Formats: sequence, structure tokens, C-alpha cells
Amino acid sequence: MTEYVDVDVRPILRAGGEPFSVIMSALESLEPGQGLRLYATFKPVPLFAVMGDKGFVHSERALDAGEWEVLFTPAAKQQTAAPIATPTFDNWPQPTVKLDNRDLDPPEPMVRILAAAEKLEPGETLSALLRREPVFLFPQLEKRGYHWLGGFTPDGATYQLTVRAPS
Amino acid sequence: MIGASISRWTMSYFATAVAWLFVALAMMVAGMGFPAADLTSPDTLVLVHVMCVGWLSLAMCGALFQFLPVLVAKPLFSERWALPALGLLCAGLASLLAGFLVLGGRLPAWLWLLPVGAVLLAVGLGLIVVDLGLTAWQRPTGPARFVLVGLASLCATIALGAVFTFALAGWGGSTGETILAGGVPLHAIAGLGGWLTLTAMGVSYRLLSMFMLSPDVDDRTSGTTLMVGSLAVTVTVVGGLLAVWLSSGLNAVLSIAAVLGVAAAALYGRDVLGIFRGRQRRRLELNTRMATLSFASLAGTAFLCAALFLTADFPAHVGALVFLAVFGWLSGLILAKLYKIVAFLTWLETYGPVMGRTPTPRVQDLVAEGKASKWFVIYYTAVWAGTLMLLMGQPQAFRAAALAMAVGVVGIVREVIRTRRLAYVAIPLRLPGGARAPHLLFASK
Repeated sequence: MTEYVDVDVRPILRAGGEPFSVIMSALESLEPGQGLRLYATFKPVPLFAVMGDKGFVHSERALDAGEWEVLFTPAAKQQTAAPIATPTFDNWPQPTVKLDNRDLDPPEPMVRILAAAEKLEPGETLSALLRREPVFLFPQLEKRGYHWLGGFTPDGATYQLTVRAPS
Repeated sequence: MIGASISRWTMSYFATAVAWLFVALAMMVAGMGFPAADLTSPDTLVLVHVMCVGWLSLAMCGALFQFLPVLVAKPLFSERWALPALGLLCAGLASLLAGFLVLGGRLPAWLWLLPVGAVLLAVGLGLIVVDLGLTAWQRPTGPARFVLVGLASLCATIALGAVFTFALAGWGGSTGETILAGGVPLHAIAGLGGWLTLTAMGVSYRLLSMFMLSPDVDDRTSGTTLMVGSLAVTVTVVGGLLAVWLSSGLNAVLSIAAVLGVAAAALYGRDVLGIFRGRQRRRLELNTRMATLSFASLAGTAFLCAALFLTADFPAHVGALVFLAVFGWLSGLILAKLYKIVAFLTWLETYGPVMGRTPTPRVQDLVAEGKASKWFVIYYTAVWAGTLMLLMGQPQAFRAAALAMAVGVVGIVREVIRTRRLAYVAIPLRLPGGARAPHLLFASK
């Protein structure tokens, strides 16, 4: 049986904060073979790709009031490889650039994020506030090798995005 | 991949749809079909299906392949089905139209063309319904619910239409004959009201609030509109089939459906007004300004429907009513949104890969709104004049209005092609290093 460490980021999200560093530091403290049980106020879809890259499979369960419980379980073949850290996601630094793109006409938010992302040094991050999930931005980020995490604040009015340049 | 990539075949759907629109306009200018011929004549059937399948449905499917993934923030279930479906739809439509020409005595008695056309259309639309349905089902909230109801209505429309074609070919048995004799209004309402109108409404909620920086319409508010609209379609199809089966006449069913339909249009009007009131962008782009003329046409359709209903003039003027709904509301909205969608997709395809690395033009640099607006004004004015001519029983004057509509559409399409060809972008910015000019008819991988 996999042992899970609980991480509840709902208070951070409710306060409008950025939960990513908490999740990543919890991940660093995991023993080989341990999994992560995450509680969030939305289904953290972008995190699935990040955790998949780190060798975790996920299973999610909807809780009441739109909240989610997600189990990240180390994939079997990754267990032996776990001590050899994959450098990509170990530690996301504080954002170098912070953008508030909420009042820009589309597609200006996307233009600004890509422009700012191109200026990041390897491994640096930027954060951006948006009105909508930037669905057309994701393929562009993916093609350029960037990683990202994002989700709506509990009131659904703001989408918080963190982008990290490839290291 | 998370998010929405550029749909490869959306431009192909748009181009094919526009080609069919020109066929329909040419027919009207030449005086083929309604109003020169009877509303139920084979020539009118050709005209109606060129418009509704060839133009409206293809344009709608092309738009959905691109924007349904945006509505649900999930990739399309399968991109690969889009092109075969387009081929099946065009082949099916051509066969169906040839079948109608057989009915009119313009071709030898190959009545089998009708069911063959229906089967091809059913397979093509079936692929699209499954593809879009499975995509929408991943997150059936907000506008995606409208699309799901629209797709269900499309299934009802195809099923009824297929029964008609088998009955016309003499393969329908007595049940087919009965449904053919009474069911044509049900087919028309499910198609125009359920599939095209509810889907257009759903997509417009998101496009309008996106382009005007307005909060999304609350799910419960739009849900009421959808419920009343769905009820109108359900009453029409289920109640209508029951009435046909009991030979009790369709008047009662269609009266209830009309009341519900007008109510749904009014609720939609309320939702759209809310989007306009909540907008942060004060200056509206051309596509939104022109969409308001389409909403005015929908309001006009609802008003005309109510007026004809109260004066018991419905049978005499149902052609004018359908004309205003098809050309003012649906075609007007699609043309206005096409103008914006092509500009945006062309911009994204051309400049997305180099954005942030080199200066790129804005989306608005790809269009010349001043030039395009006059064509839209000509188009809408001609549509409204055409509606009046139909109401006044002036088929010759109607042909002149149709010609003016064609002039407007040619102007709009020319502008859209210039946008796709980046003709309005200043040369130094047009193709910065690494950017490739897009193909006119599809998006590259």
C-alpha cells in the first residue's frame, strides 16, 4: 500500500494565494514510494501533467462544493528511479515577473505572457493574473518547452497562471 | 495536450459553406424556388437544403470544431474525423439535391438518390455529432450545454429527414408515408430552432463575453433560456409525432411550440443585454456591432411570429418568417463572427510561433473594418428589404433584394480572404523571421 502525505492547499487558494511552492516542497520531502494526497478548491488539471512528468499517476475525486481530492501515486517503474531527481520541477523559484492581464483585450494577455516568458532566464518563473483560462496559450507554451500551472481563484473571477522557463 | 490548438479543417468548412451560400444566392437571384415557386415545391427544397445544410450547418460545424474545445477547455475528441465528414456531407447533400431535382422532373426518375443522400448525410453528421458530443460531454456546463441540446436536435432533424427520403423513394411503408405527410414542420423546427439556433446562442454567449470583456452569463440564467428553448423543440418533435400518429393535426402542438420559442428568444435577448451591460470594453469591434443587427433580426423574427400567429396569417407568410430567421438571424450572425474568427485564427496560426520573440501585428491589424462595414450594411438592409418584399408578395422585387444580398456577401467574403492572405498587414510586420503565411483553405500542422 502506498502511504500518502496530505497537502491541503484550500486555505491558500481561498486567500487568493499561489499554492505551487507548497505543493513542490511537500513533494521534495516525500520518501521514495510515498504518494501525495492533495485537497484543492478546483480540479488542478495543469498539475496532472507536471506530476506525470515527475512519475506520478493521479486519481481524483470530487468533494462537496466543487472541491477536489487528488491522489498522486508514484508509478511502479518510477519508484526505483525516484532518488535520481528529475531536475525540471524540483523547485520553482518565486516569480521574476508578475503580470496583471485582467483588463486587457484578448488576445493581448497571451501576447504579453509570451513576450515576458521569452525574457526569462532558464528555470525562472513568471506569474500572471487573467480573466479566463488561456486555452490558446497552452499549446504555444508547450511547443516552446515551458511548464505551467494554473487555476481559477475560488470566486472564479481570476485565473492565476505560473509559467516556468525550461532549465 | 491541455488547451485548444488550431483546428486544421475549420477554414475548409468555412470555404465550402461559403461556396454553398453563393449557390443559394444565385438561385434566389435567378428566381428558382420560393417565392417564385411554391414553398413545398422541389425547387424550394433544393434552395432550403443548400442554405441549411450547405451553408449554415457546415459553417456551424467548422466553428464548433474550433470553439467547442475552447468552451470546454479540452481538446477535440478526434481531429481526424473532420475532413472525411466534410466529404460525406458534400456528397450526401449533392445526392439529396439531385433527388429533389428528380421530384421536380428535372432529372430522370432516380428516386434512390434521395435515400442515398440521406444516408451519406447521416453518416457524415453522425461522425460530427459523436466527435463534438464526446468533446462537449467532458465538461457539460455553460454554453456547452446548448451545443449538446443542439446536437440532439440535429439527430432528430436527420432522423426525420431520412424517413422522408425513404418515403419519397417508396421504401418508407405506411408509417413513412404518414410521417412524410405531416412531419415536415417538425423537421424544419428541429433543424432551424433546435440545431442551428440553440447552438448559435450557446456559442454566442462565450464569444460575446470574450470579445467585450464581460463576465460570463451565470449558468442558471442561461440554463432557463436553454430549458425553454429545449422544451420548444421537444414539444415540437415528440408532441408533433404524437399528433401525426393520432392524425389530430399539428395546430395545437405548433402553437405551444411557438409560444415557447418566442419566450426562449426573449430570454436570450435578456441574457445578451446583460452581456452588453456588463462589458468593460466600451468601443465595440465590427463583428459585435454587426451581430447586434443579427439579434435585431431574431427579435424581428419573434415579433413577426407572434404577429402572424395573432392575425392567423401564419400559413401565408411562413416563408417570410423562415427567410428572416435564416438570413437575418443565423446567416448574419455567422457572417459577422466569421469575419472575426478568420482574423483571429489567421493571426494565431501565423504569429503564434514567433510571438514574444519578434514584433508581431495585432489581430486588428489583419482587418480593415471601415471597408468591411459597408458590405455588412448592404447585406442586412437587403435581407430586411427582402423580408418586406416577401410579406408584400413581390417576387420580382425580392430578386433585386437577393442580388443586393449577394453583393454584400461577395464584399464580406473578399474582405475575409484579404484577411487570411495578410493583405492588410504592413509589409515590414507581415512575415517576420520564422513566421509562415497560412494556407487559404486549411491550417498547417
